[in-house]
Amino acid sequence: MKQTMKTLALGTALVTAVTGAGCGSDDSEGPLGTDPLIILQRPKRNEMGDIFQYTSYVPKARLIKLDPPTADGTQTVICCDQDPALANIDISGYDISFDAKQIVFSGKLAANQAYGLFILNLDDGNVEQLSTDPGRDYVSPVFLPGDKILYTSNAVVEAGAPQHRDEYERGTTLQLGRINTDGTGDELGPRNLSHRTFPTLTSDGRIMFTQWDHLGPLNAGHLVFANQDMTNLREGFGKEGTGASNSTLKAQEIAPGRFVAIATARNRTIQAGALIDIRLGDVVTDDDGNVSAAARATEANATFRDLTPDVPHDNEPSVETVGRYYDAYPLDARDKASFVVSWADGPVESEVLGLAGLEANFGVYLYAPNSRGTYERRPILDDPAMWDVFPRPLRTRTAPPVVASQIDTNLGGMTLLGAMDVYQSSLKTFDQGDIYGVRISEGFSSEEGFPEMFGSTMFEGMATLGVAPVRTDGSWAALVPANVPIRIQTVDKFGMSNFSEPVWFSGRAGESRFCGGCHEDRAGSTVIDPGLTDAIAAGPTTFVAATKPRDDRKSSVYSRDAIVGVPWDGPVQAIFDAKCVSCHDGVPGPANPSYTITDPMTGAALTWTFDLRGDTLPAEFVELGGDSHFTRSYFSIVGPDMEAIEDADLVLSGTFKVYMEPENARGSLLLELLNPVKQFPNQDTGVRAFTTTPHMQGKGPDLTADEFYQLILAADNGASFFSRENNPGLDIY
Amino acid sequence: MMKLGTKIAAVTFVLLAAGPALAGKGGSAAKIQSAVTSGSVDAIVAEIERAESLMCERCVGIVTNLLEDDRYAVREAAAWWFAKRPAIKDMLATQFVTELASGDTIAVRNAADFLGRTMTYTSLPALRTAIKRTDVGADAKLAMVRAVKYMAHQSGNPVLTVAMTDADATVRAAAVAAWRDIRGQKDATPAVSLLADGDAQVRAEAATVVGAMGGVAGLSTLEALVVGDPDPFVRRNAAWALGKLGAASSRTALTTASTDKSGVVRGVARAALASIK
Repeated sequence: MKQTMKTLALGTALVTAVTGAGCGSDDSEGPLGTDPLIILQRPKRNEMGDIFQYTSYVPKARLIKLDPPTADGTQTVICCDQDPALANIDISGYDISFDAKQIVFSGKLAANQAYGLFILNLDDGNVEQLSTDPGRDYVSPVFLPGDKILYTSNAVVEAGAPQHRDEYERGTTLQLGRINTDGTGDELGPRNLSHRTFPTLTSDGRIMFTQWDHLGPLNAGHLVFANQDMTNLREGFGKEGTGASNSTLKAQEIAPGRFVAIATARNRTIQAGALIDIRLGDVVTDDDGNVSAAARATEANATFRDLTPDVPHDNEPSVETVGRYYDAYPLDARDKASFVVSWADGPVESEVLGLAGLEANFGVYLYAPNSRGTYERRPILDDPAMWDVFPRPLRTRTAPPVVASQIDTNLGGMTLLGAMDVYQSSLKTFDQGDIYGVRISEGFSSEEGFPEMFGSTMFEGMATLGVAPVRTDGSWAALVPANVPIRIQTVDKFGMSNFSEPVWFSGRAGESRFCGGCHEDRAGSTVIDPGLTDAIAAGPTTFVAATKPRDDRKSSVYSRDAIVGVPWDGPVQAIFDAKCVSCHDGVPGPANPSYTITDPMTGAALTWTFDLRGDTLPAEFVELGGDSHFTRSYFSIVGPDMEAIEDADLVLSGTFKVYMEPENARGSLLLELLNPVKQFPNQDTGVRAFTTTPHMQGKGPDLTADEFYQLILAADNGASFFSRENNPGLDIY
Repeated sequence: MMKLGTKIAAVTFVLLAAGPALAGKGGSAAKIQSAVTSGSVDAIVAEIERAESLMCERCVGIVTNLLEDDRYAVREAAAWWFAKRPAIKDMLATQFVTELASGDTIAVRNAADFLGRTMTYTSLPALRTAIKRTDVGADAKLAMVRAVKYMAHQSGNPVLTVAMTDADATVRAAAVAAWRDIRGQKDATPAVSLLADGDAQVRAEAATVVGAMGGVAGLSTLEALVVGDPDPFVRRNAAWALGKLGAASSRTALTTASTDKSGVVRGVARAALASIK
């Protein structure tokens, strides 16, 4: 039977050992041992509902030491009354050095300052600030071997470029960076299109962190790995159907391949959730009962154990005695491991708490199995005015090896991408010859001056750098700009995508990212013939667009090899104007079917008729379209904002069709009807993609090969309206 | 704003005249109103986000009122909501542009926050005029600076340069800090002149911007600030800026600053010194 203490009586509640014997002050060590605990105390607050929120500031945070680590231990404030400049500090996170002599923390000194990094020497209490950009925020520091510190920051690796903006919580994204412990050598890593947060160091020398993956329909926070130098991004946990929740964060290693983490939703949960014990690979138990899972560690093989099954994994309010967990730190590696945790009782949901005028009250607890093997939560410290979070034993630990990738200075500051055999995939079965090449596209978001939506399909901005041909042996290679989010698709000889990578990734300058295949089996080996791959022998494909500065990575002409972005009111509308609007002009009839949007509650209805003209939408359709720039043709081909239709419980009736599917030119009705011609390696108007009669036959001049490719790219890049070529932020006002 | 909201709803929403319009995500006008009644910023923002795609006439009126809330977080979320409703957004923007010219401090504040958050670039000419008004207070000026920063468009530069001469130090500080975040901004000169400002916060922000933008014209002033400014944050930012500028002439000043009595300065100065080849 689960026993849970609902209240804490300081000085009387005791920590009991797993054996069930002993008190906090006697000889039994229990899972916590005798090392003091370091605890971050932050004044309580409620506005950190989103898992990526990092700018919250309430002054008078402190770091304390609890010695011994028991409810009646002595609390000593170790930071930050040493320096008057730190008097109003808020602290968002910290880490303990390997020799347990220093603490690095992220602190904000005043409301009008940014979060910076500070080093506290435990011997003498001296605090010094590290040299980071005072105009940017630096949070979540982690010590790395080699006298370095990893962090996340909204500073930008690309000089002069704006930082990516997250579409949901409307904040500037965080990216990885690292700095020497003496404040020199500050360097930023390649960027994700959205946030990277809560990094941690693993025993094999890699780093793990939460990455928000947002590409089209995918919207979730997953655990990913990288090297300490921020190269070699690899999947960790959360995708391929083995995840526990929308977002997984604050992972801490229990043993190789095994982690404890918070499973939660993106928002309203105050960055708290359920505790899960993740096993990435094959589970192994050693003679001492320690459990690890390093072998064959992949997302596909991963499993997890829900350590707190009553705690919601979504953002529904929790309940009394269940609450939510803010973080957890493992104390051993047994199958049922013990943890020191931060936990708050009650709903722990920002809206419910806000309505009641309350805040969550996180305190420190021991979460360990009792003699019957049932997990119990025992209180250690709970200051009712503060969040008591990130409890960590103050003890030395072994630094893992320095792990980095070889950087090739001959790459001209670019990143080399490629694969040994693109046909080897764990996600898609290809027939030999299906794939002509790999299309590589750069991603960006509204920070470049765009409106809220690039299109009604909710895809991000995309600029296609080019198509790297797949060689005879299945290999491909290309040089791409470093530090930018990249999306890759395999394409067939018609230029249509047969598979899209569902996430963004990026590489550093001089990094070589050579995969086995196209998301090959992560637990296996890719077998190829000995010798150089054809792609390397031929040399990586270079794209003209990839060598240009960011602002110039757009189309000058819209031919197959020069096209970069596809502005809807540019080449797409030109096709419709020249070859389609004589029939598809919005006049109801066989060429222009109609459908009706009805509100079943009121009976009110709007009727739309197929119309490929370039006029902007009538006023009554603008809300359903999503932007006042969107045109009749865009609305007709791509359709209305379906999220708005669904949310409003509207009903569509009549001849409703979506003619362009994002990332799926081959499955788009528009392309099926038009029946595009062969594009690669050479354009051939005598070879068609489908066996059906092309729509234009007998109706007028057919599309040119370049025009077909423009429509294909428009679809495969997300069916957006805006691209860099028609960015309204570039006009002069 | 209530009258404007109602008018917009009547003109624009043919579909949803009176329905409760419960959303797939659970949002509703009633829930938004309930949150508003509670007074909780977190509840209001949560319900606005929940109603992201909700098409609801009554919602328009409620959220329109939130554009005038005293709390920026609420105004910002409300503007975000309208940014996803382009026809209504355009009608509101027209009204708010008018307010820039004739409204009082609060009206101008609210207008600027809406126009900035909704990326209404066409309001930039009106913002350039409004920033010169002498009959509105700092709250309005700060909002205009905030709007220009969010839009990050060079057509907003004149707003910032005027704001950098404002009598209110918080306006000057915000303006100089925003300068570096304008897309394509190259010239640090406006920030250099603020290194000698009478307000420490302004000097601190200016030092950061000068360093970030490579404003070598500010070098000698930064060298003086890093050893002589009474404010530790000014000294710290000046140290960082000197490290970015990397001039050999800064070694002496940074060596002195490496023994600063404040820990927020010492470490930054040492690192800056080490970075100067």
